Amino acid sequence: MLNRRTLIAASGAAALAGPALAQNFPRKAIQMIVAFPAGGSTDIGARIVAAAAEKEFGQPVVVVNKAGAGGQLGFTEAARARPDGYTLAFLNLPGLNTIILDPERKAVFGIDSFVPVINQVLDPGLVWVKADSPYKTFADLIEAAKKNPGKISACTTGILSDDHLAILMTHEAAKVEFRIVHFDGGAQQLTGVMGGHVDVAFDNVGGVFKRVRSGEVRGLAVLDTERSKFLPDVPTAKEAGYPTIVSSSTRGIGVQKGTPPDVIKALQAGLQKAMQNPDHVQKLEEAGLGFKPMVGEEYAKYYADLHKQAAKYTEWALKMR
Amino acid sequence: MDAFQHLMAGLGAAMSPGNLMFAFAGCMLGTLIGLLPGLGPAAGTAILIPLTFSLDATGAIIMLCAIYYGAMYGGTITSVLINVPGEAASVITCIDGYAMARQGRAGSALAIAAIGSFVGGTIATLALVVVAIPLAQLALKFGPAEFFGLMVAGLCLVIGLAGKNLMAALLMTVLGLLLAMIGLDPVRGAPRFTFGFPELYDGVGFVPVVMGLFGIGELLLAAERREARMIEADLKKWNPTREEWRASAGAIGRGTVVGFVLGLIPGVGSIVPTFMAYVLEKRMSKTPERFGNGAIEGVASAETANNAYANAAMVPLLALGVPSSPTIAVLMGAFIVNGITPGPFLFTERPELVWTVIASFFVGNAILLVLNLPLVGLWAKLLKIPFSYMCAGVLIFCVIGAYGLKQSLFDVWIMLGFGILGYLLRKLDLPLAPAILALILGPMMERSLRTTLEISAGSFAIFLDRPLALALLAVPVIVLGFMLLKPRAFAPVRQADAE
Amino acid sequence: MPSGARQGWLIATGIMLALCLFAVWQSSLLPLTDKLGPGPGFFPFWLSLIGAAFSVALLISVWRAPADPPDTEPILPRGYGARRIGAIIGTLAVTTLLMEVLGFQLAMLGFNIVLLVALGERRWITIGLFAVAGSFGVYYVFTRWLDVLLPAGLLGL
Repeated sequence: MLNRRTLIAASGAAALAGPALAQNFPRKAIQMIVAFPAGGSTDIGARIVAAAAEKEFGQPVVVVNKAGAGGQLGFTEAARARPDGYTLAFLNLPGLNTIILDPERKAVFGIDSFVPVINQVLDPGLVWVKADSPYKTFADLIEAAKKNPGKISACTTGILSDDHLAILMTHEAAKVEFRIVHFDGGAQQLTGVMGGHVDVAFDNVGGVFKRVRSGEVRGLAVLDTERSKFLPDVPTAKEAGYPTIVSSSTRGIGVQKGTPPDVIKALQAGLQKAMQNPDHVQKLEEAGLGFKPMVGEEYAKYYADLHKQAAKYTEWALKMR
Repeated sequence: MDAFQHLMAGLGAAMSPGNLMFAFAGCMLGTLIGLLPGLGPAAGTAILIPLTFSLDATGAIIMLCAIYYGAMYGGTITSVLINVPGEAASVITCIDGYAMARQGRAGSALAIAAIGSFVGGTIATLALVVVAIPLAQLALKFGPAEFFGLMVAGLCLVIGLAGKNLMAALLMTVLGLLLAMIGLDPVRGAPRFTFGFPELYDGVGFVPVVMGLFGIGELLLAAERREARMIEADLKKWNPTREEWRASAGAIGRGTVVGFVLGLIPGVGSIVPTFMAYVLEKRMSKTPERFGNGAIEGVASAETANNAYANAAMVPLLALGVPSSPTIAVLMGAFIVNGITPGPFLFTERPELVWTVIASFFVGNAILLVLNLPLVGLWAKLLKIPFSYMCAGVLIFCVIGAYGLKQSLFDVWIMLGFGILGYLLRKLDLPLAPAILALILGPMMERSLRTTLEISAGSFAIFLDRPLALALLAVPVIVLGFMLLKPRAFAPVRQADAE
Repeated sequence: MPSGARQGWLIATGIMLALCLFAVWQSSLLPLTDKLGPGPGFFPFWLSLIGAAFSVALLISVWRAPADPPDTEPILPRGYGARRIGAIIGTLAVTTLLMEVLGFQLAMLGFNIVLLVALGERRWITIGLFAVAGSFGVYYVFTRWLDVLLPAGLLGL
């Protein structure tokens, strides 16, 4: 439970762990590089945690937006920063993965350039259609896609985004073929589907859950192993018979390779506490961002596993070019 | 009318002392930050967002919108006074507004800009009240194919900007389009023409380019002119003369219509309506050669269209939750962080909030006018600062503006490079506006064509199915072709009005 | 057309032509078509080809236009004007080069002082006040109040 007692106990535990932590960290402001524009859902989550972290660390935690090239600019900058723990990188998966895996992007960073510290958000994929669409369930959609290979259009929020990979996963699992249309961000995707130009959208829960709730759009499937607490009425792809279609956009914090381990520990402890802050949790909920803190080993394993999964689908996508 | 009652209630709420104060503060702060050369409305609004965190939702939104309008007007001030555009659309204001300033008529330019903005904004908001949701739904029909058509039509506006030599303008358009191709391409998302600079993956970045071409280019020109002050002419009184009023009235009317209609379409961006209103005005004028040399109708039409657009763009934002431009996207992000998610359910779930916000648009527009008109004389006097201090000051803020976007010194270098280029191009009398238009519209055009083809699986027949798109495409191309065939297009330039 | 301007135009269209030809070459290296239609190289290729054609057309028309006798002002600045332009470009370039090293505040301090002096100011008090406000002052406002990050330099300033 997130009440005072737990917080006091937690900080007590952290204090006991004192000698293992860098005594003088942080001594000045910490920068958090967000590779996406201000106002987007990544940025919103980052700012919420930055505000909470400031209280924990007693030093300013400043969000720096370095948007561009689908995140590559920000990741490049973060990877090149000094590994002293004062420049945090907000890691978007699988965005980071696909950039690394696309040879034409010539990324100067690799999967080892970052040490994952703690994850914040796991925003599962969501397949949705217009409210008056003929497809009432995910099964309807798949059936129609089987009957009309290559004719039903499905859109993403960007080339090689998690939406794109999710569509390919669907191709594989359900043995169908959609006509893939790429938009530039959620706003364009919304107008594209609402205006009737594209049949179905592969998106994420966070961006659109309020509209599903209000009935403006219809959610067909959540691409996670369990239903989203924000959309309890929308079944998962697993329930529809496709347990392998699991896709999400995960965002967490990492540091550069070579950062001293005690600094990493201090960051982990501080950020973890910051994330447990009830204000932080509540603000994330309001924004529809699924809170899934993963620390240390768990996050590192997730990070590595996701890269393997992304590799497979990215290769497909690249072949289709 | 139900909407009308809501609006009245909203007005009451918007004019409560607390909210009025927020609107006032927002306008002031927005203008001040938009005034700093290089910051522009998008960056200015983004910077001031944290100020609103401690306010309640309604107050925060009112203040944010006021900041937005204020910043836009601040950008207008710098466009007129020092030829530094606040955003791409302000380039037009630079062209005629700055020319007016050089003739000592900065006051009139600023005044007409304020008044035109007020009229355009107010009428657009009134229209918004009447048509918000139904029109928004209709605007959704505007898909990637129509968007492509609009972009092509927009590019053909270059004819109207041509001035003496059509071929030179076309060449500049090509230059702008080529520059626009730098970055990740919309087909594969792979780098194109970046020569190993990851900083270029997102394109050259039009803010440093525009600041360089116009702002720094102008500074260099002024330096060469060996003047002690930026503007040597005597300052005339700030209120526009009778003829200026009469000339502007029509421009304001037409600008409002163009700005409003285009503002309803999500994603169009402010540059198309502004340029379109300007070109329309030039076509309709009996003395088109005055445009580019200080025609007040040019300033009036551009500023009115810009503000009508900005207000109308609130329709897709509020009714659909779709931001039409990067600045509005910033605004929307701010809304969300403050716990308000724009969208149609906002009208049903929290109507008092929405209508208070809409009412505050009126209030904001009015406050801006009341605030800035008296100050116009003051702003104009700024021009009397000695050139050296003005130059240093402007450069400081331009550097901050260019750097601050992405914390990148690369952008500062780009700005410097384009500054030199802008200076050289101006010396040769080559028009800059077509290049800017092309730089903005080029990527949108290519991307929308790509998306259109993805939807149609490669078939161009989709255009045959969509008459609006076809019409948008065909007409300007025919006109352009027709004009190119006229012998005058190839006339050599005579340096008639030498500087 | 005045000979200075004519020269300028010839050089400009010449450069433009070269640029377009370079772009034609570069875009031919990219795939011109794609499964769905124009590839990444399509637009740049045709565009730069058209641009080259325009440049040639303009070049020819300027070449053939009768040149006025060389009398009027040369197109490029001389003397005082040129020095001012050089001062602006030079100080800005050097400042940008040094900014990561010295940090915004010091670099801008130097920039202000050098530029103001180069542009002819001699009132040291005003220069000093302006320079400090325009470097340390501005830095303070932007980084403390507005949360805009400016380069801190190696000295951590």
